[in-house]
Amino acid sequence: MTHTATITLTVNGQRLTRTAGAHLTLLRWLRDLAGVTDPKYGCGEGVCGACAVLLDGEPVSACLVLAAQVDGAEVTTAAGLSGPGGIPGPLQEAFHACHAAQCGFCTPGMLVTAAALLADGRIRSRAEIRAGLHGNLCRCTGYGPIVDAVEAAQEARQARPDPRDHLGRAPAGHDAPRPRPAAGPERGR
Amino acid sequence: MFIRPFGYERAGSLADACEMLRERGEAAKVIAGGQSLLPMVNLGLVQPEVIIDISHAGRDDDGAAARGGGAVPGGAVPGGGRSGSDRAVAARSREIGGGDGYLTIGALVSHARLAGDPAVASAQPLLAAAAARIGNPRVRSRGTLGGSLAHSDPAAELPLAMVALGASYRVTDGRSARDVRAEEFHLSFLTSALAEDELVVSATVPALGPGWGWSFQEVARREGDFALAAVAVLVRMAGGIVAEARVAVGGAADRPLRLADVEAALAGASPGEIAGRAGPLRGLSPVSDISASAGHRAHLCAVLVRRALDEACRRSQEATA
Repeated sequence: MTHTATITLTVNGQRLTRTAGAHLTLLRWLRDLAGVTDPKYGCGEGVCGACAVLLDGEPVSACLVLAAQVDGAEVTTAAGLSGPGGIPGPLQEAFHACHAAQCGFCTPGMLVTAAALLADGRIRSRAEIRAGLHGNLCRCTGYGPIVDAVEAAQEARQARPDPRDHLGRAPAGHDAPRPRPAAGPERGR
Repeated sequence: MFIRPFGYERAGSLADACEMLRERGEAAKVIAGGQSLLPMVNLGLVQPEVIIDISHAGRDDDGAAARGGGAVPGGAVPGGGRSGSDRAVAARSREIGGGDGYLTIGALVSHARLAGDPAVASAQPLLAAAAARIGNPRVRSRGTLGGSLAHSDPAAELPLAMVALGASYRVTDGRSARDVRAEEFHLSFLTSALAEDELVVSATVPALGPGWGWSFQEVARREGDFALAAVAVLVRMAGGIVAEARVAVGGAADRPLRLADVEAALAGASPGEIAGRAGPLRGLSPVSDISASAGHRAHLCAVLVRRALDEACRRSQEATA
């Protein structure tokens, strides 16, 4: 049994090693030890999504993972979705353009969840985007602009010559023409 | 989230974890995906002295790390702690396998994998549908089958699906294994038939037989929240009437329940008679709690059973058409 753990994680491409209590969650490890503060502490129960990060590419609640469990893993936070030199990435651009943030507390988790949702390159309907985001709570926007932004980001990706996502992965079969999302009754606000 | 510090111990195999549980007793809690344990720890509802991590059990790249960390009580387990059978058990806990009309899912398989695995979708689609309804994408990334079964929440999706399917769970104390029927495993609120040093290894369900239709339905206040009521149904139609039906409800008692009376009443029913035969669900007496009154839950269960029977009958008829 150990009460302290030395953990190495690759966070947004940077290798970080910290030694601390073995009981620390990934969220506390990131925020309090590594100074990576874009994942937020909201509920501590995994229901609000403010602490969402990608763990080896999969979306997780950083408050519901022990750092000691995931030594050696790759973590991507919202900041890791930006382009070279820290310019906003496509999802961040879309969130900005659509005014998808008000107070901003939920935004890093929304960005990460949206990145995971769109990672396979499949075009999703507005209803599918809403379903994909249902585990992320926003108390300001009413969600409309956030769904707009995710929709805009997937449309923008289709239009780009390079369809690789934020992790440099090409979507499966991206050469094939893809159907446009159906314009549902919910489209627009 | 300033939780009381606890120790961390990483198990290289399930047998190692069982041995650690015998050593530590009630002070220890087991973690796999952590999606039930860590909310309770973060809220201070559980204050373990040590958490035993089985999420790496049987991973080829991990045995050395576990041993190097001094976390494994070497030699304490019969056969030297890491026998070939330990390996086999750990491997079984990470796999999805099948054949001969059965599907076996390892305890460490995540909900996301269960929901997305093509072999599960074709052999037992009810199980894939139930897994897809769990929580949110983050819960499904980390949460595991064994964790959900052992946690034994009466409103959880997987125990309900398992009871409906007549599943059997393989459990081990690291020395020997036994099989427990799902209906005999889920005893009451957050209480299972696991002894203090036992872990779930895998669950085995029959594959969906020819001509069977299925349906999984649930109602929650918020998308992804625990179900106020959930229903899993399997139906086989023959000659335009119900030949066999399996009906189970979750969220309506202290454990998922098979409704044998309803199943018996449905036999021989034509599609037009099904709703009447299912009736007000005899044998069901839900309790009132903070989320819903007993009457509301009973109403929801009856509505969901009717909807599920509709869908399952339609699928059965499509399967035989």
